Amino acid sequence: MSAAEWAIDVLLLASLAVTVFSCIGLTFVKGFFNRLHYLAPVSSVSITLLLAAVIVHRGWGQAAIKVFLVWFVLLLNNAVLTHATARAARVRELGHWTPDPNEKIPGAGGNRE
Amino acid sequence: MNVWLIASGVLLLALLPCGIAAFRGSPMERLLGLEMAGIVEVMFLVTFALAIHRENFVDLALAMALLTFGGGLVFARFLERWL
Repeated sequence: MSAAEWAIDVLLLASLAVTVFSCIGLTFVKGFFNRLHYLAPVSSVSITLLLAAVIVHRGWGQAAIKVFLVWFVLLLNNAVLTHATARAARVRELGHWTPDPNEKIPGAGGNRE
Repeated sequence: MNVWLIASGVLLLALLPCGIAAFRGSPMERLLGLEMAGIVEVMFLVTFALAIHRENFVDLALAMALLTFGGGLVFARFLERWL
């Protein structure tokens, strides 16, 4: 087994592990906004590892360029779609998008004034 | 059986939890399941195209990625205001 084949196996295994754990996390974690985080690893880390595996396997050819385009679309997808989904959930819940002056926002900073 | 075919099989299995997520919970939580399924499906199409040595079929993955993007935005917009 050559070094390239080892590299392909390791990259694919890592990509699949991230994907499977994210899918399981998205299904079984409680709370919408907690679940939303599990979209990011798949559409950033996992697809990047897959792109690397394809480049090692085929070199810079037709397949690698197409997978590079897929990678670019999924990166854009990740940022825009996650924001749009979170915004939609907040508007559904509160009726507006902007924070209230007295709203307690969890995390660093606490109460925003 | 090559490593790409095994990877595509694992990705098909990874669609099961996404399906479970898409069939339970609130509408927004179901949308998350759908979005994740779209991304996993894109990865499946890439690995399967390489497994069967048809590089042209990677175009399907690109089309699926674009459709997932547009479809997710439309669903999010409709769930925000009208549904």
